[in-house]
Amino acid sequence: MKTQVVTILTLLIACVYVTAATAAGGDEAVESLVFPASYKAMSVSNGGTISGTVTFDGAAPEIKKLEITKDAQVCGKTDKFDESIVLGEGNGLKNTIVYLMDISSGADFPSGAKYEMDQKGCQFDPHVRLLPIGQRLTMINPDRINHNVHIFSDANPAFNKSQPGTRRKMNIKAVKKAEGPVSVKCDVHGWMNAWIAYIPHPYFAVTDENGKYTLDNVPPGTYQLGYWQEACGTNKDAPVSVTVEAGGTVTQDFTLAKMSK
Amino acid sequence: MEKQSYKNTLLIVIGNLILLLAVFSITAFAQGKTAPAASEEGKALYDDKCAHCHGIEGAGDGSAAENLLPRPRDFTRGLYKIRSTESGQLPTDQDLFDIISNGMPGSSMPAWSEILSEGEQWQLVAHIKAFYDGFEGASPRLIDVSGKVPYSEESIAQGKEFYTNLGCVDCHGVIGRGDGTSAPDLADEWGFRSWPANLWEQWNYRGGSTTEDIFKRFIGGIAGSPMPSFISSFRLGLTDEESARMNDLELKMDGDGLSDTEEEEYAALEEKLFMFEDIMLNVEEGVELTPEEQTKLDTALEPILEKSWHLANYVKSLGPEERPPAAVGDKVLRSQYRAEGLPGMNDEAWNEIQEVSYFPLVGQIVIDPRQFNPSIDSVTAKSFYNDNEIVFLFTWDDRTKTLPQTDDETGETVEDALAIQFPVKISEGPTDPKPYFIYGDSRPVYLWSWKVAEPSTVIEMNAKGIGTATVQADQAPIQAEGVYKDGQYQLWIKRSLTTEDRNDVQFAPGVFIPIAFSAWDGSNGDVKTKRAISTWYTFVLDPVPSNKRFVYPPLVALISVGLLFGLRSSVRRRQNT
Ligand code: HEC
Ligand code: HEC
Ligand SMILES: [Cu+2]
Repeated sequence: MKTQVVTILTLLIACVYVTAATAAGGDEAVESLVFPASYKAMSVSNGGTISGTVTFDGAAPEIKKLEITKDAQVCGKTDKFDESIVLGEGNGLKNTIVYLMDISSGADFPSGAKYEMDQKGCQFDPHVRLLPIGQRLTMINPDRINHNVHIFSDANPAFNKSQPGTRRKMNIKAVKKAEGPVSVKCDVHGWMNAWIAYIPHPYFAVTDENGKYTLDNVPPGTYQLGYWQEACGTNKDAPVSVTVEAGGTVTQDFTLAKMSK
Repeated sequence: MEKQSYKNTLLIVIGNLILLLAVFSITAFAQGKTAPAASEEGKALYDDKCAHCHGIEGAGDGSAAENLLPRPRDFTRGLYKIRSTESGQLPTDQDLFDIISNGMPGSSMPAWSEILSEGEQWQLVAHIKAFYDGFEGASPRLIDVSGKVPYSEESIAQGKEFYTNLGCVDCHGVIGRGDGTSAPDLADEWGFRSWPANLWEQWNYRGGSTTEDIFKRFIGGIAGSPMPSFISSFRLGLTDEESARMNDLELKMDGDGLSDTEEEEYAALEEKLFMFEDIMLNVEEGVELTPEEQTKLDTALEPILEKSWHLANYVKSLGPEERPPAAVGDKVLRSQYRAEGLPGMNDEAWNEIQEVSYFPLVGQIVIDPRQFNPSIDSVTAKSFYNDNEIVFLFTWDDRTKTLPQTDDETGETVEDALAIQFPVKISEGPTDPKPYFIYGDSRPVYLWSWKVAEPSTVIEMNAKGIGTATVQADQAPIQAEGVYKDGQYQLWIKRSLTTEDRNDVQFAPGVFIPIAFSAWDGSNGDVKTKRAISTWYTFVLDPVPSNKRFVYPPLVALISVGLLFGLRSSVRRRQNT
């Protein structure tokens, strides 16, 4: 329900922003992130850094414990909690995507990187996964019970495959279009959920447990800095403008409040 | 017992099926026809025939959509359940044509083959495709159905193992009645409630119930629904021995850990698996394979597809293709005289009755609150009697056992329950009117009310119309026992043939006694009049054996058929007002 609200809200905002910015492509309406019309990879020398902390605004909300309705001997070994808001030191907000909306050329993705998502103990890890378009994702199932990987794509083809206990590692096909974050679910264990953002360039970061992020190797210039957070929404309608100087460092913090339902 | 009668039908069905399939598989390769260009005619037809469910813009939001579950398809996302194509692929034009033609049993999607010409249906295919850009230039990959494994006991036995090991049980339940432990929490991609198919009710399969149909569903998945594709469930390219070895090593890995040589062995097996998987992912990503790669993949897939056919054969073996005939005419429920004593709930004696009587249920949509999407679609019954008592064994499928709980939506206390209804006074003949089939009218009804919270109790009630049901002050001793197992309730009830109470029904051999049912599925929000109901049926206590072959055919047939039509038109009339 909550994710629906998020999508609907961001959708409304997205429409406004996208028409204003006339970004390319036909699928923006359902997306929560903003992608450049095109992106050219090149070598970046003397890039700058944008970093900062995302903080949750207000009192820490009550964290809901998830009800383990099934496979308790495996899934119930540790308590599971709702991960839509995870706070660290000083109310630092984990799992926020911070990114450059309008960069059209810059560094390539690091080569040889592996992209994985674990389902250990019936919980997806990471909860928010950045996945470059054209890259395969390795789903890990060390539980020796059945999961299914159900990805709620729109711009990309439907995906829902079973991963039984005998498929400890299952690679899933790469997608072609930037999209997301799209929700990932396991229908067998209804509480399992995560997000994948299919990204076209490397200037995306996910905040760590204390709400910290870093975007480095940024070519000098002025950019729109955006964020997305599952429970707090996006700033697509009002991104922050940041100017990066050669070799310089910019600090940009955000304070996010929970979206009203 | 029930299973046995299914099996008989099944053997015949299967015999026919194998014949049919032999004929059909010759044509199975063809992708079928393709749709013409989208046209004004197509749009006009769509707006007239389909838009009130699927919406003018195809978003599944027509004016009638709200009360339907499953919801009418949203055509704007290109997600189609019933495809002859692989996971993640669009359907073929022929798939869309077939769905329009045949409809989707078990849902409100009608079959159009008798209403629209073939040409018109093709125009609709073109119109529907136009709602989603992705169809442009797409050439979806077909599921290879060429390696069909013939139906045999051996194949079924193998398939049954895969059914358990691959996790079908999680959703469809141990024996397939749609009662798996994950079933209560499922939703489709639009956020609407989704129930796993009851695999025993093959007449409700959306996409048909031939072995091919079943095979395609779990190879390709049912897009938009929780049901995944199982194509990657086996270890591609590994022999059964290698796969078993991998299992052992993984067990050990999680236990004491692997030795260096075992570590290497595992890595080698994994590498082999990934090499084949890589070829398959290339196909999924649209990369052209070299002929060698293609051969490699085909060879690796062969044993996997074979196993999948075993699984399809197993699922096929679960139930009859056709919905059983209703308990009218020569199928009417007959209570059999049994001098040896009346059987208890789990008594072998029940097997003496070969054919169970089948009572179809529909949603109660006449009186508020209504049930437009009933989850219980039938009750079955068997019965014996002797000189003093009568005993019944009722069964009905329900995917969840719901003890009294608060319904999230309505705040009402809901629970699973069954009521069996008789008129207090049995009519003299076809012209003597019966009480209104929902809780009677000026002519009262007598009810046996059973609720899951007290499974060994049946309460006697009377009603003279909706909202008037009252518990009898004076309860006759009725024995009852209800159990829930594998997605099915069984309820055993025993009462004396006659009682002193003028408000009870009295059973006597040779008399046609009207009987009707109401069933509540708590997890479906059923409460009060929101429930599944049947019309009046009749049953009869077979005469005492001296002439056991005595039949009453024409009269019973007449009464029952008349009743069925009566209900239909009365429901329709009320719906219209
Ligand atoms: C009474 C409502 C109703 C009407 C009228 C109706 N449909 Fe449907 N249709 C449905 C429902 C409900 C579903 C989804 C069933 C399900 O998901 O199990 C559906 C599904 C479909 C699908 C999707 C098949 C799939 O594989 O997913 C197609 C195609 C379709 N309808 C075409 C049509 C066309 C064409 C017409 C008009 C000629 C039409 N429908 C009229 C209710 C309706
Ligand atoms: C995660 C839950 C889940 C699992 C696991 C699952 N199914 Fe299903 N299955 C469903 C749901 C939900 C439906 C109903 C789909 C619909 O029509 O919306 C369904 C429908 C079906 C149908 C009916 C198809 C039709 O035409 O209506 C068949 C057959 C089937 N499943 C077979 C299987 C088999 C065999 C397996 C194991 C290999 C399996 N399922 C595993 C959820 C599941
Ligand atoms: Cu899972």
